[in-house]
Amino acid sequence: MHKLFSLSKQNQTGGGKTGHRVSAGELRVQKDLDALELPPSTKIEYPDKDDILNFKIIMTPREGIYKDGTFTFTFQISTEYPHQVPKVHCDTKIFHPNIDTEGHICLNILREGWSPILTLNAVIFGLEFLFLEPNPDDPLNKEAAKLLKSDRYQFEQKAKRVMRGDNYY
Amino acid sequence: MEEKKSNLIVTIKKWHTVSSWTWGAGDDNCGICQMPLDGCAPECQFPGDDCPIVWGKCGHKFHLVCINTWIQRNINEPTCPMCREPWEFRDD
Repeated sequence: MHKLFSLSKQNQTGGGKTGHRVSAGELRVQKDLDALELPPSTKIEYPDKDDILNFKIIMTPREGIYKDGTFTFTFQISTEYPHQVPKVHCDTKIFHPNIDTEGHICLNILREGWSPILTLNAVIFGLEFLFLEPNPDDPLNKEAAKLLKSDRYQFEQKAKRVMRGDNYY
Repeated sequence: MEEKKSNLIVTIKKWHTVSSWTWGAGDDNCGICQMPLDGCAPECQFPGDDCPIVWGKCGHKFHLVCINTWIQRNINEPTCPMCREPWEFRDD
């Protein structure tokens, strides 16, 4: 409450450099960020410190197929958040059935399963879950899904090679 | 019994009144804007009549302005953000 109050007060007095009104979306994002519970394996970075709507989430899974890899996600949040779903893109090359070679992510809550009661915590949990449980039944990268279904060992080897920087397409 | 009239004259020097109100929705926050239901959504200026709350038939409650924005974005099949049941306003 206090932070929000000071944020809007600062805004009224033209404290912000640009002097723009704090949008409802920004207020909600600030609430989400205040409540963010990042595990030690996950970090957040702001390319522009004055812009809380655009940031990067950097994950280093501690277990599973993608253990010890480092994956960067770019979050772009609209001023209409939480009515508009956050845009999340995977910047790191990955061999994963639910993330394609362009970095598009297939996660229900980032698509039709979005609801305005969801939070950034929920989105980050969802991404962590994708690393632990790649789902070959709802593929975005069909080649990865096929290999995961037919030969899990080969799939893991290929995922690890791509993590080390090998090209696969 | 007959009431006794007093001749005492009292001067009130100071009067301090306090009142409180509630929508009767408990201490919950609105799930959409995360502000208290008795408080006000970012789009509203003042808590109270400026920012009423509404219940759905499913029993979930939100600030009117918050649920309206959601409904307008999903005008064909609005669902409750909480339980994903079809959204219908509860008539009081």
